[in-house]
Amino acid sequence: MNSISQRAMRAWVGLGPRFLPFADAASAEVPLSRLLRLSLVQVSVGMSLVLMVGTLNRVMIVELGISAGLVATMIALPVLFAPFRALIGQSSDTHVSVLGWKRVPFLFNGTMVQFGGLALMPFALLVLSGGGAAKDYPVWIGQAAAALSFLLVGAGVHTTQTVVLALATDLTSEDRRPKVVGLMYVMLLVGTIASALIFGHLLEEFTPGRLIQVIQGTAVVTIALNGIALWKQESLKRMTAAELAAPQPSFRDSMRRYMQGEAARRRLVAVGLGTMAFGMQDVLLEPYGGEILGLSVADTTKLTAALAGGGLIGFGMASQVLSRGADAFTMAGLGTLVGILGFAGVIAAAPAGSPMLFAAGVIVIGAGGGLFGHGTLTAAMNYAPEGQAGLALGTWGAIQATAAGLGIAVGGLLRDVAMSIGALEGLGAARGYMIVYATEIVLLLATLAAMSSLFRPAGDQSTRG
Amino acid sequence: MDNLDDPNRVWPTGLTIKESEALHRHVIDGARVFFAISLFAHLLAYIYSPWLK
Repeated sequence: MNSISQRAMRAWVGLGPRFLPFADAASAEVPLSRLLRLSLVQVSVGMSLVLMVGTLNRVMIVELGISAGLVATMIALPVLFAPFRALIGQSSDTHVSVLGWKRVPFLFNGTMVQFGGLALMPFALLVLSGGGAAKDYPVWIGQAAAALSFLLVGAGVHTTQTVVLALATDLTSEDRRPKVVGLMYVMLLVGTIASALIFGHLLEEFTPGRLIQVIQGTAVVTIALNGIALWKQESLKRMTAAELAAPQPSFRDSMRRYMQGEAARRRLVAVGLGTMAFGMQDVLLEPYGGEILGLSVADTTKLTAALAGGGLIGFGMASQVLSRGADAFTMAGLGTLVGILGFAGVIAAAPAGSPMLFAAGVIVIGAGGGLFGHGTLTAAMNYAPEGQAGLALGTWGAIQATAAGLGIAVGGLLRDVAMSIGALEGLGAARGYMIVYATEIVLLLATLAAMSSLFRPAGDQSTRG
Repeated sequence: MDNLDDPNRVWPTGLTIKESEALHRHVIDGARVFFAISLFAHLLAYIYSPWLK
């Protein structure tokens, strides 16, 4: 063969793999650009979350005239899927394919499900609102279709997020994980804030056609972002026939093995209590500012931004401190202390009548939540037993997402109950909020107590399993 | 990629037949999901506004 045809042949051989979604053979260190690309999944997760919980929450009630109770039910549906994160994580740990892939198939399927839910959602909501010709059809069609679309998006979000965190754990060594966790959190926040602004702008002049464009546009962007994210992340691993035929542990067995790990139960309890404590004030923030401190709508919206800003400060600090070798749980514990300080400030703001103190308290709560979230997620990655990264991150996510959802529900309920039974009459309208904030402080103290035996002096990582 | 002389590999991708089939199955599954979703979306669109009439 002459040299020209040899070169041409080599070009052909080289051309193929470039267009296949496999990573190059495992290198010593995954470059940051690849991790940045992976974190795009978090942007699409943030996009879907803000669409369901924020934008559509308002659109369904105000523009489509759907009853608030029905809207609340629809928004709560995805939380029901959160416990399945553990199962998804475990299935991806034990997934067998001739390509040697474990995470990418789940990322792909999760993306498909999320896309499907978003593609259906606008039509489902329009039918649910009873507009157009939909009033001639039975009501349950709209309800079932809307429920299905919210469930699909929720299932997709839980799947992709779990698998991406597991993949990030696979790809990085312990010393780089704090940076990766920070990156994942920041990208989630970026996705949430950017898409909230874009959705708000696009839906300013609401028409049914615009609703379809916006939600289905989100579906397409989701596929694009997740496609870019999963490309060449996992390498092709040749499996032998014996490996392919080897029996895989059941979910029950994997879970039993995982729970036998170092203080696994205690860590999960701490994550649940802490997340619930930080989550309860989410929906009360704006009404508290408006009702008790008399802030305008524009000002209370800034409160949500202040909370997010505080979160960013927390994630930044956490990444810095943990990269220097601090213990993840000690830092999460610090986060709960910071949170207690913030809640105390918010409580003191009402009798003092000081919006400044309130805003400062909110930023401090955000920072505490950031430190706590970052610390527990980094710990979940670092303590993940060999071959169980998916299950470890799935369990963390299951507890975290369920506790956050529960926290929001309990927070709202607790305020209403406290108002109706007339507890602490002397405090006036603020008493409902006071009781919630006080409960959060108690929960944070309980979190601290649950975590106390997990603290470890900095640099001591010898006993990690 | 290891052992480039494996007779089961098909160029230019360098995948074996089995591996190609596994990859292809994901593409087909995706297409099926697209198809089912689009059917359902069309049904809902018809209920809301029968072919935009």
